[in-house]
Amino acid sequence: MAMLIDPVTFRRVAAIRARLLAGDDASIVELAGRMSPSRMIRVFAAMFGVTPHQLRTQVKIDRARAHLARGMGVTTVCMEVGFSSVGSFSALFTRWTGMSPSHYRRSVSVPARIVDPSIVPGCLGMLAALPSNFREARSPARAP
Amino acid sequence: MLHIKLTSVMVEDQAKALAFYTDVLGFVTKMDFPVGEYRWITVATANRDDLQLALEPNANPAGKAFQQAMFAQGVPIASFETDDLDAEYERLGKAGVAFTKPPTNMGPVKIALFSDTVGNLIQIHQPT
Repeated sequence: MAMLIDPVTFRRVAAIRARLLAGDDASIVELAGRMSPSRMIRVFAAMFGVTPHQLRTQVKIDRARAHLARGMGVTTVCMEVGFSSVGSFSALFTRWTGMSPSHYRRSVSVPARIVDPSIVPGCLGMLAALPSNFREARSPARAP
Repeated sequence: MLHIKLTSVMVEDQAKALAFYTDVLGFVTKMDFPVGEYRWITVATANRDDLQLALEPNANPAGKAFQQAMFAQGVPIASFETDDLDAEYERLGKAGVAFTKPPTNMGPVKIALFSDTVGNLIQIHQPT
């Protein structure tokens, strides 16, 4: 039986997600509002594949990845995304991404063939960075 | 002559999106190349090579704002056709997919809406 989400619940949970994406630090109970926290978490996870807590962590990790990709230092990134300890930040980052912040920082770079780096994320211009035989290549290559 | 070969949806997490679009929806991976900190990923309908769907990272702030606004308004970002919508609703429901609209007759088509877990509402439709 499919989980069917009514319009009111949908709007509430979508609003909670928007708050988390914006970096809202409210507690789960506060976020749930009129919903029971357990139901909110269950619906949230079905809609987005992660719990609210996981999304909150993911937002921090994504911000950290973006800063590191632009060359920001690990300690500065740690403070920037709201951690007080570089050790706990590094441990969490490693658990989520499979590599340490410093390793991640060294491993990513914007392809030189893309002229305007600002269009790289989320753009079909990424096609320009593919190998010349991309249509024949069939072996999926995993990025870090 | 131009032909439609590629379209895209923006996704919040490319790895999670690839898993959902292949393992849950049933598409197959056509391309998967690293591009800087992201990946160029396309999927397609199994055994058909006419159109690929790129799973683009939504890191562009303008794209992210558009995606979030569309989702918040309950507007689907893409529609996939099926010849048996009720069966797909049943299959996807068993796989844990959350629907915001059950199979509903809308004149020339029957539609249903679900969350793809990476920031989009997706419509499936069946011509009636």
